[in-house]
Amino acid sequence: MKTTYRLIGLMAIAGLILAACAVPAAQPAQPAQPAQPAQPAATEAPAATEAPAAPAEISLRWRTRPDNKEEADVYASISDEVAKKLGIKLTYEPGGSETASYQDVLRTELAAGTAPDVFWIPGTDIADFVQRGLLLNLRPYADATEGYSDSNYYPEPMFHLTYNPETGKPGEVLWGLPRDVSTFVLYLNLDLINEAGAPDPRELAKEGKWDWAAFKEVAEKINALGGEIKGYGMNAWWGPYGAFMNSAGGGFFNAERNACNLNSKESLEGLSFLRSLYDAGIAVPYGEDSEPPFRAGKVGMFQNGRWATPGISTVTFNWDVVELPKGPSGHMGNWLFWGAYVVNKNTKHPEAAWKLVDALTQPDIQAKVAARGTNIPSRVGEAVFAEFLKILPEKNNQAFLNGLADKPTAEGPLWTGSWPDFDKAMGAKVSDVLTGKLSVEEFGKTICDEAGKAFNK
Amino acid sequence: MASATTALPSAGRRGDAALTVLMVWHAALCILLIAGALVVLSSAPALDLTPVALAAGLALLALGSGVAAALILRRNHLGRTLSLTVNYILFLACLIGLAHVLGVFMGLDDLADYMARGIPFLMAALFVVGYFVAATELRDRPVPVARRNLGRVLMAVGAIGFLLTAGVVPALASVPGKYASGGLLPLALTAGVAVLGYMLWSMWRGESARAMGAKNIHSERLNGWLFLSPNLLGFALFFAGPLLFSLYVSFTNWDAFNKRDWVGLDNYRRVFNLTVQPLATPDQPANQAIDVRVYDELFRVNLFGQGYLVGAEDKRFWISLRNTLVFGLLAVPLSVIPALLLATLLNSRLPGMRIYRTLYFIPSVAAVVGVALIWQWMYNSQVGWINYFITSAVNFINGVFGTNIKDPQIRWLADSDYALLSVVIMSAWQWLGFNTVLFLAGLQTIPRELYEAATVDGANPRQQFFNVTLPMLAPTTLYVLITTTIQALQVFDQVFIVSNGMGGPGTSTLTMTLNLYQNGFQSFRQGYASALAWVLFIVIFVFTLFQFRRQRRASGAYDM
Repeated sequence: MKTTYRLIGLMAIAGLILAACAVPAAQPAQPAQPAQPAQPAATEAPAATEAPAAPAEISLRWRTRPDNKEEADVYASISDEVAKKLGIKLTYEPGGSETASYQDVLRTELAAGTAPDVFWIPGTDIADFVQRGLLLNLRPYADATEGYSDSNYYPEPMFHLTYNPETGKPGEVLWGLPRDVSTFVLYLNLDLINEAGAPDPRELAKEGKWDWAAFKEVAEKINALGGEIKGYGMNAWWGPYGAFMNSAGGGFFNAERNACNLNSKESLEGLSFLRSLYDAGIAVPYGEDSEPPFRAGKVGMFQNGRWATPGISTVTFNWDVVELPKGPSGHMGNWLFWGAYVVNKNTKHPEAAWKLVDALTQPDIQAKVAARGTNIPSRVGEAVFAEFLKILPEKNNQAFLNGLADKPTAEGPLWTGSWPDFDKAMGAKVSDVLTGKLSVEEFGKTICDEAGKAFNK
Repeated sequence: MASATTALPSAGRRGDAALTVLMVWHAALCILLIAGALVVLSSAPALDLTPVALAAGLALLALGSGVAAALILRRNHLGRTLSLTVNYILFLACLIGLAHVLGVFMGLDDLADYMARGIPFLMAALFVVGYFVAATELRDRPVPVARRNLGRVLMAVGAIGFLLTAGVVPALASVPGKYASGGLLPLALTAGVAVLGYMLWSMWRGESARAMGAKNIHSERLNGWLFLSPNLLGFALFFAGPLLFSLYVSFTNWDAFNKRDWVGLDNYRRVFNLTVQPLATPDQPANQAIDVRVYDELFRVNLFGQGYLVGAEDKRFWISLRNTLVFGLLAVPLSVIPALLLATLLNSRLPGMRIYRTLYFIPSVAAVVGVALIWQWMYNSQVGWINYFITSAVNFINGVFGTNIKDPQIRWLADSDYALLSVVIMSAWQWLGFNTVLFLAGLQTIPRELYEAATVDGANPRQQFFNVTLPMLAPTTLYVLITTTIQALQVFDQVFIVSNGMGGPGTSTLTMTLNLYQNGFQSFRQGYASALAWVLFIVIFVFTLFQFRRQRRASGAYDM
């Protein structure tokens, strides 16, 4: 009997080790086997540098950061579709972790050599990843691909994605392709606006009267409803307050993006305006997550990006969106948020990885992701815009396109410094200003001494 | 006579041949390992200690192997011990290396996804095993052969079913491909596993043991070390090794990817680099008093009418140190003193006490992330429960007593004056249950006779608590205090979740571990982060030492 137990135990251990040995490659392959007829399509692909038989052996892992389970499912089905199209094995890994941010986990995996072949990173991280030698230059593969052009995508992200830090010029290299773009709008609780008797921001925007003064007036009227109602809400990160600085004509960096500009008169003006909203009690306290009170019907205007749309579309009150109000600069000062699919420099299959990146950013794939309501396609063109406007047609989708058309500032990496260091120094001080612990004047006197150190590293 | 005294014990012809093979093997292995150490050393970049450490390890094994060869020749049992040790370490190294090359460790991560499919088969097998074991134990007669055989068949079917559903067939099919695509390395490692395994077996078996003069005590020692070895190797590989590595890294500027230059004590210098400059006027701008290219203003202080500005090269370290100490000072008493009182209450024999004990313990086993997210929601100043109850209470009091108390509307996590306190409350709540259980266990070890004697002496419950319970609980209290202090000084999860990894608002919840995490995994200054980790270690060590000393003094006084 003991021998039987031992044998079974040994079998189980050996079997498990062997199973572990091949699980990533062998198991996902099983459901994909019926799809083999799709392989000839790969041989018909225009990239002529690859032998027709090779793709069948190629297996790639790729990862992106979905906002929720439904979006992860969309990416998983896209992965299957692209795998069939390219005739390769693809394993999709939805990123995200309960205890660590997407980027931190990814960086750690890169350091350990276990990162996927293709992955998505936010625009702010491009410089850091490139300068540490983690990304593959895709330019040779892109140049050999028929129909590819940098101009197919929004130019702002492509500037950074083609920037060569050695020569300081864009267009020479290609670090990846943008997955999607986004921009800020104000999500409106139309019921609260009507109840407060405030003018409709959408109408004001159409009439060209949607500026800071009008915005503050609407927020004040909503706030006057009393109780726990607030006129405006935003979340505590660089995007929302940065938009007000941009809108005043300032910004985080100088034009060359190699020095701190937070102490400029315009940046401080933007911050002062924002501070006035908090001082007047119009805004949800800085540092609080504004989305729950907005969804609970207690906030009139909530500043957030397209990624918030699926969640907000479930609220029970009447809602819509409007573009950001124009500031003293005459512009909204909006951001063009973006992230890109990039290729791990250590991938064993660089050409297949490029094909995957290219496939993931094709119009049909982007349309499928955008249909979830979370993203705006990163490709430009009237046809793309028209398709986007069909998503949630009863809502003011045009507000997003208006934001992207009004000289947005691209979410940008720091090629001459450390963005995490800059963000940490700036975020802590701005938080002090917007919670009333530090005056705007004091902020202006010291911020660039502290944040400016990020440029020396 | 002389030849008689030098005659070596024989293991028989085959056994002697095996020992000769082992001796030759160890001599060859010694040369191979020395060569390996030299190759590693010669290819090591200057001042890079990792290859130096590897070469030192190889040299040590070479020494062990060489000595083993010489002692096997003399049939000295120490040679057997050395041979087994060297071969065992190298066998494990080859085995782990092979598993790595074949992708077993990567696969184990994914295996969990496929395990679920096999669980019914495994359960079926276990159920059958359990049934037959139970049947054997319960009845005073042997289990019928037919049923035993049936059980075996079912177990085998269950195990095979489990393996099949866990993916053993495609796995087996993929192994040759892995060998084919892996070049020489997997083959070499497989050969290593086979040869070292054979050498281990050859030296372990009885004939060799006798020939090497093995006695019972030798076997017992070897068995002891063998049983200890998984833990010992695990400790060396996953604790002591990384600990020493982090100490080495703290003297470098390693970014986890590329550069790893030796910078000596520069990281530690940066951590502690402070400047103190007199101020011409109390509101003199910092950039006129200190070199703001290097330092940031930390705080201003007025001493004997003269204002001073204290600047730090790494301001965030000092802020995080202050926050961590404040957190510890608040969280430790808040989670220890109520736990002691609660344990005293729960120690009574009242109906339903077990349910209360369970309820208080639940937060301790809840996931920190889930707890932090729930508290984050409860702390929301607009829609959170805590402010809702405060507002309701204020309204009730004002309504009933006609007072005009103002609703504070505390912005728990958005106000830097309250954010750390909020995390303290949340953590103390979570740690309270575990500490209560520890105190409860301690309370139940106090002999009842002591209380009876105290009662006879006329001590009231308060006097009994202070003069019997507390002194008798001293060892438990020390343990609780030390573990809670360490936990508090290493606080990370709660602040990471609550502040989205930023340590805000401002820097009010930036703790030492969060600061080192930000340096190590966001800014990728692994060298500097390691230095911060060692500073944190020293802080914890000092606190623990202080508590031990204090306890020793207190228990000494009690003994007197």
